[in-house]
Amino acid sequence: MLTSLAEGPKHGYAITRDVEEISGVRLGPGTLYGALSRLEGRGLIEALPAEDRRRPYRLTGAGSAALSEQLQALQHVARSGLDRLRLAEVSR
Amino acid sequence: MSRRLAGLALALYPLAFRRRYGEEMRALLDQTPPGALTVLDLLRGAVAAHLRPSPGLAGVVDVGDRLRASMSGVLACWVVFAAAGFGFYKTTEDHPFEVAAGAHTVLGGAHLGIQVLAILASVAVLVGAIPLSMLALHRARRQPSLRVLVSLPIVAVAVFAGLTGILILVAHSQHSQHSQHSSTAGGIAFIAWGLAGLACGAVCVLASRGALFAMPVTRGWLLVAFACGALATAVMAAIAIATAIYTIALSVDAVALAGEPNGPLQATSVSVSLIEQLIVMVIAGALAAVTTRRGWRAASELAAGAG
Repeated sequence: MLTSLAEGPKHGYAITRDVEEISGVRLGPGTLYGALSRLEGRGLIEALPAEDRRRPYRLTGAGSAALSEQLQALQHVARSGLDRLRLAEVSR
Repeated sequence: MSRRLAGLALALYPLAFRRRYGEEMRALLDQTPPGALTVLDLLRGAVAAHLRPSPGLAGVVDVGDRLRASMSGVLACWVVFAAAGFGFYKTTEDHPFEVAAGAHTVLGGAHLGIQVLAILASVAVLVGAIPLSMLALHRARRQPSLRVLVSLPIVAVAVFAGLTGILILVAHSQHSQHSQHSSTAGGIAFIAWGLAGLACGAVCVLASRGALFAMPVTRGWLLVAFACGALATAVMAAIAIATAIYTIALSVDAVALAGEPNGPLQATSVSVSLIEQLIVMVIAGALAAVTTRRGWRAASELAAGAG
């Protein structure tokens, strides 16, 4: 969800569609708003003024930093895994 | 159907969560037709929101409304608890249970304790509810939205009382016919009557909750009603303990009586019925304790604000 919001502010429906596109996982409304509530409570995202009945959310500074840290950690894991697979291929 | 179920599932979320995200969630449900999986996801989310309330939602609901939510929650738990209590009364009302209670001290003590505590809890609920009901009746004359909410419980209780009267008349008229067929029909009628009683209780709880949130109530009356709700919660816990003692004592002291057939259709035994009633009591009592604990925090803030 943080990755989805890295692109810019989005409301619930747009986040659901984007997350499905990125990860193939379709979030139910209970899961989506439970996560939004926790992320908002931790100060990682913030709500913008409501548009009609929908309210867009955007990343805060802390949210951008947390996402960057998580992605770098994932990148490290992915790179290490790929390097090891490559070494294993060469040694065969 | 799923849309209606999704709406009901949404109503199960905590008040603060609904106030903060309810409208957005309804908008999302309008955009994506909800299926069974969506309803399950909402139910799971509602449970999680109750168990792990987000700290960011602390200021969404004011102290008065948190107390209102606590009181209506305790009332809902009391209705369910009372239904289980009525089941206990029906299970143990016959003469052999009186004889067993007279012969065994623990059994008799637990039974007497349950009766005294049930009266105490009922009085606590009435003392808490009567001033608020009077206030709602008084305000309903000037506030049209309250009129429907005040009328609903009266209509529900009148319909249930009428249904009860009809069933009693039918039962008396068929008293002489003791056939297997009439016994089964009587059992089914009793189950239907019980379900009608629960529906009547649900209407009363929902309407009184709506009325409680729709009218201004002074700090003093809110605290009095909360104190009565807290007392009722404590008594519910005591009744559950006494029922557990009674159930164990019956299984030890009156084994034959505990094994006798029981229930509207005689499909279960006395001890199984008592265990089922105890489980309902424990769940309703535990939920009442959780909502009272939340109300206690709000009452402390309200009292501190008054000081």
